This record gives sequence, C-alpha cells and structure tokens, in this order.
Amino acid sequence: MTTTGPLPSSATHSVAALQTAAGCQESQTQERERLWGRGFNRRRFLAGGLGVGVAALGSQLTTARVAYAAPGTTTGTLVVIFLRGGMDGLSLLVPGADPDLPTLRPDIAVPASRLIALDRGFGLHPSMAPLASLIGAGRVAAVPAISTPDLSRSHFQAQDCLERGGAATGTQTGWLDRVLEVSGPGTTFRSVAVGGLMPRSLAGVDGAISFGSLAGLKIQGSGDGPWATATSAAIQTLYTGVADPIAAQVMLGIDAVTTAAGLAVGAGGTTAAYPQGAFADSLKDVATLIKRGTGVRVACLDVGGWDMHTALGTVASGDMTSHVGDLAAALAAFAADLGPLLDTTTIVTMSEFGRRVEQNASGGVDHGHGGVSLVIGGGVTGGVKGRWDGLSTAVLQQSGGDVPGANDYRDLLSEIVSKRLGLTAGSLQSVFPGWQPTSLGVMA
Amino acid sequence: MTAAAVLASAAPLTAGSVAAPVAIAGRSSSRSMSLTPSAQRYTGYAAVAAATTPTNPGVFAPDPALHLLRRATFGPRPSDIASIRRDGIDAWLSRQLNPGRIADPLGDAAWSMFPLASATPAQVRAQTAAYSWDAMIATAMATLGRQIFSTRQLYEQVADVFANHLHVAIPAEGWDTSPSYIGDVIRPFAMGRYRDMLLAAMRHPAMLLFLNNDVSTKAMVNENLGRELLELHTVGLGGGYTEAEVVQSAKVLTGRTITDGAFSYNPDAHWTGPLAVMGWSSPNATAAGGLAVGDSYLAYLANHPATARNIARKLAVRFVSDQPPAALVDRMAQSYLDHDTDIRAVLDTLFRSPEFWASVGQKSRRPLEDLVGAARVLDMLPGPKGADVLVTIQTLYWVVRDNGHAPLGWDPPNGYPDVAAAWNNAGSLVNRFTMHRALVNQWWGGMAQAGPTQLVPVTPGMTAGQWVDALSLRLLGQPMAPAHRDAVLSFAQVTAGSPVANALWQAWGAVPLLFDSPYYQLR
Repeated sequence: MTTTGPLPSSATHSVAALQTAAGCQESQTQERERLWGRGFNRRRFLAGGLGVGVAALGSQLTTARVAYAAPGTTTGTLVVIFLRGGMDGLSLLVPGADPDLPTLRPDIAVPASRLIALDRGFGLHPSMAPLASLIGAGRVAAVPAISTPDLSRSHFQAQDCLERGGAATGTQTGWLDRVLEVSGPGTTFRSVAVGGLMPRSLAGVDGAISFGSLAGLKIQGSGDGPWATATSAAIQTLYTGVADPIAAQVMLGIDAVTTAAGLAVGAGGTTAAYPQGAFADSLKDVATLIKRGTGVRVACLDVGGWDMHTALGTVASGDMTSHVGDLAAALAAFAADLGPLLDTTTIVTMSEFGRRVEQNASGGVDHGHGGVSLVIGGGVTGGVKGRWDGLSTAVLQQSGGDVPGANDYRDLLSEIVSKRLGLTAGSLQSVFPGWQPTSLGVMA
Repeated sequence: MTAAAVLASAAPLTAGSVAAPVAIAGRSSSRSMSLTPSAQRYTGYAAVAAATTPTNPGVFAPDPALHLLRRATFGPRPSDIASIRRDGIDAWLSRQLNPGRIADPLGDAAWSMFPLASATPAQVRAQTAAYSWDAMIATAMATLGRQIFSTRQLYEQVADVFANHLHVAIPAEGWDTSPSYIGDVIRPFAMGRYRDMLLAAMRHPAMLLFLNNDVSTKAMVNENLGRELLELHTVGLGGGYTEAEVVQSAKVLTGRTITDGAFSYNPDAHWTGPLAVMGWSSPNATAAGGLAVGDSYLAYLANHPATARNIARKLAVRFVSDQPPAALVDRMAQSYLDHDTDIRAVLDTLFRSPEFWASVGQKSRRPLEDLVGAARVLDMLPGPKGADVLVTIQTLYWVVRDNGHAPLGWDPPNGYPDVAAAWNNAGSLVNRFTMHRALVNQWWGGMAQAGPTQLVPVTPGMTAGQWVDALSLRLLGQPMAPAHRDAVLSFAQVTAGSPVANALWQAWGAVPLLFDSPYYQLR
C-alpha cells in the first residue's frame, strides 16, 4: 500500500529556471524599441482568432492504437531538438573564411584554425568533436542564416512562430501536429515530447504524449505493480461506454502508461556512453522507444540555456563551448545507441532566432535573426546547405546587424518531413499552408 | 485560530478588506475599486431549470443545482452544496452575481499572503531587483490562491474569462507593469461594464507594453495593439474591418505610452488627422485631443454589436458548451447592448436560458479547473501554519504550470483556449490522475483536509458498496452507475457486500478514482 508519493518535478522548479528557459528579460526589454520598428506584429502569427482550438477531432483520436508498430510499416523517426534561448549560429557553424567575423567578434569568434572543417568555407565548433565520425561520414548537414519571418527578437514570439510553422496564418495547431494529422494513424507513441511540457509544435488534435521520462510515465501514487495495474484497469472501466472524446484520450493515456511499464521491465540497457544530464536522459528514452519498435514517428526534446548575452566565452572555456560539447556528446551517444536504426532516424535542431553578428560589451551576443540548423542521421546529405550571403558591411546594413534570414525553416522542414516521413507535396500544404517549399538539398 | 487567521499570519490582512461593501479588486482596498452593491434581485433561473430537460447528460443525474455548481464554481465545496440546497438556485445565483456583498475572508487572506501580488510598477521597482519576475509570479500564485479559497466563485470564473480575453501574459516581458494589470483592469470590472474594462486596459502600461503600443508613434506606427483591439478585444475576426482600418485603429492609439512604468499620453507621438474605423470617425485634429479621441473610439467599439457577440460567445463557451448555440449567443449579445455593456446582464441572460440548463455534461475540466476544483471538492482549508500554506499554494502553482495551465500564463495575446479539444490529451490526463492522488493523499501538507478514509462517516455495519456510494455523494454529488461503482470496488479488492473496513485499506487509491472519472472530468 502506498499512501504517499514522490514530489512531482515541479518541486524542483524555480522562477530562475523558468526565466532561463524563456529567455533573458532584460535585453529583450532593451531591444524592443528597435525591433518593433520593422513592422513585425505579434498577431501576424496568431491569426485564427476566436473559436481557438474548436477543431474537428482528428480521426486518429477515435482509433484504437497499438503499442508496437508492425515490422516494416514505419518510415522512420524524426527527432526535433529545440535549442531554447536563441542559439548563436555563428559560434556553431562558423564561416571561418569570412574576413569580417574576427573584426566584429574580436573576443569570441571561433578561430578558423580550430574548426572541424565542412565545406563552402565553413567549419563546426571544435566542441562538436564527439560527432566527428558522423561528420566525416557525411551524415551531418548544416544550414546557416535560417529563420522564420518573425523579426520580433522576442523569445516568446519567435518560438511561437516557429512551432506553429513559421508565419502560418490561420493555424492554431503546431506544425508537427499537422504533420501527424496528415501522416495517418499510428501507435500509442507515434508522437512524443520527452523531458518537459508539450511543445507548441505538437499542440493540436493529434494526441501527442508528453512525459518527463519513460520511467516517470505512470500514474504516480498509484502504488506498486499490482496496484498500478488495478488503477489503470479501474480508469479504463470508468470510461467504458462514455460517449465523449475524452474517453479515447484516457484510453490512450492508459495504453502509454502500460506500454511504458512494459518497456521498463525489459529495459536491457545500452552500451552507448550517454553523458550526464536531462537532455541525454531524454535522448536515451527516445532511443529506447525506437529500438523497442514502439512506432515513434516524431519525438520532441528541448535544450535550454542558449541565451548567451554575457560571457559566451572562447573555444577554451565558457558557456558556448560547454553547451555545444554537451549537445554533441549526447547526440553522439544517441547515434551510437541507435546503431543501424540511425539510417531511418533523422535529427533536426532548431532555435527561435540567431544572434547579432557583432559581440556586445559583455562578451556575449544579443538577440538577432538568422540562426543555424543541424540535420543529422538517416537520409542526410552532409555539408553546408542553403544560401549564405556573407557578413559584409552591405549585408549587415540591410539586415540591421543580424545574420539575414536567407533560408526559411519551412523549406528545410518540408524537405525533411517529405523524405523522412513520406509526406506528399499535397499534404505539405496542410502543414505549411500557402508555402511553396524549395529544397535546400539536406536530404538525399 | 480560524482558517483566515492562519492564512493571514503569513502576511497581514488588509484592513477593511472583509467589510461590506467588499473590495474585490486584487490589491489593498485603498487602491482597489469595489463593486457597487446592487440591490437588484436576480431570479427566475430555477423555473427555467425545472422546465428544461438536459440534451445529452451522459453520466449525470438530473440535478440542476449540481449542474450550476459544476459550471459556476471551479468545484463545489460541501458548503456550496449545502448553501444551494438550503437557499435554492435563485438565491444562490443572485448572491454570486453580487460578489461585492459576499464576504471573502479566506480568499482575501490567501491573496494577502503574496505582498507583491498586483503591486504597482512603482512598488515592484522599489521592492524587487530590476527585471525580477517575483511580482509577476506572486500575482499568478495569488490568483490561484483566490480561486481555491474564494467564496465568490462565479466572480472568479468571470474574472478568469476576462483575464484571458483582454489578456496580458504573466510571466512575460512586463516584469514591473503586468502585476497590477489584473487588479487595475480585470477584477474591478469583471462584474461591471465591459466598456470600462476596455478603456482601463488601453490606458494600462501592461497592455501597452505587451502589444507594443508604447513604441507606436506617428512616425512609426506599430499596428500590434490596434489590430488586437479589433481582432481579439472587441469586434473579433470577421467583425467586418479592413486591413486599412487596422492601420487607422493603430493610429488612433498612438501616443498612449509608458513613462517610468506608468501610463502616459505623449501628444508628440500622436498621429493627427481624420480617422475612421467601422463607422466611427473623428477629425482628430489636435495632438492634445488624441487621448479623448481614443477613448471615444474605444467606447464606440465596446458598444458595437459585433463586440457584443464576441463577448457573449466567450461567456457562452465558458459556461455552456464549446460550441454554444447561436440563438443563445444572439440573446446574450442583445442583453449586452440593451444594458450598456453590463457583463452581469449578459450572465443573467445566460443563466436564464434553457440552453444553459440543457447543456449538462457538455464541458470538461481543463487542468486549472481540475486542480482548483479538486482542492475545493476535498474542502482543502488552510492548515495551522501560514508559512506551510504559502508553500503549498506555491507548489500547486508549479504543478498546474507543469500541466500547462498556470493562471494568467498563456504566452500569446489570445488567452488560453477554453475548449476540450485543446486540453484533453493523453499525457495531460495521466498527469492529472497523478495530481488527484497527490491532492487526496495530501502529499504537500500545509492544508487541513479530511484524509481519504475520513471523507465520509464510517458507520457500524457499513458495507464497501455503501461506502463507495457515500463517497460518490460526497465528492460527485450523485451516485455512480453500477459498472463504475464496481470499478472502484474492484480496485479495492472488495465486493459491494464486503465490510467497509476491507475497502478502507485501499481508500488511498480508490478515492482518487472518483476524480479521475467522467463524473468529475466532465461538467
């Protein structure tokens, strides 16, 4: 019998943590005036108005799902990693041959000599070394100067824009929810958010499941094995014969709890050397779901801490080198853990914006526009893709000191989901309404 | 020590805040506005209820009083049920529609535990570090505390509707300006005139910052607030305005800005010249007159029929169904226009409608309504130590934030969605099931409430079946269907005829099932 339970993760919350996750307020406030003169309008990306969410329930909701995918029926998994806070693209994917960068960033530019060479004059931050073999094998693509049309430089608004599918009007749902809506029925775990809240990108009618960890995907306080089973059974009975859409969601939730419990029993461990940390733990859970054949089509993870207004540091020390190193080590372990399943798994990183080209007085960089996306794994054509106009005075004058948003996330994401998840050109229109995608060439 | 005194022990009660007429705004009575106690008697609801058959009640027994409590409160405490049984639907609802006449010592005390709640920009700047989120978080936590403890439940529901309608997100950019917004703009007028609320919002630094009007000038018009004013706050999308009128709308508002955290009007920034939007027009000839021109524009929009429909629909979605009948929305909108934007008149029409009384079971709980409702149904009261009570309210805030529904916490300007499709996903439901076990079994302490074995009296000779029935009556207000009752008994590894003692061993896990069930999740 259990009468008490562990505190939910909320007990570890703090305002500071929340603030870090959302981004730095101070600079945001300071920068607003300049940003909003450009005609950006918060509402542009939130059109759709009243009757929010009054959407027809997706057919998948009322379809009983299976726990495991039948062999050979999946097209693979898309892993979406959101780098919250506005990751500085110029530190990650460095135009080492650019003559202006060392001048604009005298203290923090990554020296060309230290880069892991890619092509077109670019190289990756040396802390990406754990991924060196994947890079060498041509399984890592990088897109510079990528953005949504959001010019707000607000963490909140830019994340919202990106997760709803970039400048989409009339869309309240997330872009991944729409991907799943058009990709047909699937398993209990076909769309998951691991490690935190349901991201806006999965918000909608599709029935995504979010959980902190696979081990924690349970009705806490429902006791030990038999009692947990009895709790699940009782809840299922309580909703049997209930003619409300909530019943289907309850059943799905209980299915997820049951499947997760089964996965825990057989968790055979891995030889992959995951580093410590919440992000690596979440990736390990995603790998478990993939390896166990649970039919994961889309997995979302968040990594915070990229809002580096101060002390971004050098390749030797500082926030950037440690963050990039943590990210790369976790991804390398994930790739090793997946083994041959990496062939059908594609990882994409995104961030709400890139940062200013010029360093600030605090040895950091303020909110900017164009950033960098990495695409790793199955089906990827390695190298630097997309348009790059350099960092000349002429370019920066036009962009107001930002890396321009020369490449659009919708192009990148369209290409990835069409290749990885088999979406047709027609169904892409449901995902990014009104957008005519142009391939950047990141997928073979 | 009384419960209110316990709450107050963490921070002193504001003098006079429980006297009648009661100050119902968020802050101390000296700065808050109080509702003029209305002598109006609202009656006639019970008669409509008695004459109406629910359309599709699902699991719910025919009981209009319980239907009303499920909708007009976050969740009924036993005292709420006793009160409506004793006084009847008309008297109960009439009282709730006059919140200024209801003393609210527990709600006031919970709010007062957060001294920075709804603090003015000057207070925030003086008492916290620059860009600190403390006052924003305190305001959101105090709002949650009030929702749990307030006796003015209908008022808290309506305040929540309008906080999401004229929405300013907390926490967001307005570290110093946004805390006072709820106390200055939303709470004073939630049972008053919408026009007054709208005018107050458009002179509040929090709204001006949130939608960037503070940087909108004649030289560089930012259309953010001008657009949202039309699209969200008044006539609504499809209200009949053009893109050109959006620009005009934004020009009307130029000059409304912020100085040192306070609202100010800067004539030098105001765009002058003729303006026209949706039938309203002004020569707008002088910069000095720009503020008055704006007020006339806002008043015009507030009284526009499309605004009436927009407001009516918001309230109908909250209280009736996710897709409320058009005929009801029309009648509510007409009441709004007939009574000079009086929100109470709209509510009166709503609760007088057959559509409301027919809509049993057509709404479901969102995470906030689940948490606050369960705390109330369990009759959670402040425990003996104020500091522990404070910590528990804070913890509950993080719990509901984890479930995506912290009070005032929606980032975009359109407010939380108020329909089931946006909320009832599998992961969220599992989290809520965990929350039920936490609340029933008092994981966080701090509060006084009956434990799971003490919720109903255990009498000699009582059977497990009788115990589950009594629990159902206590927590759900009605018995469960036999199959559902059996599910609870089966969990407890007993049959209906077993001695109650055998079931009590499993009360820790059996009682939360009632909150997991459709009898609680639907409303």
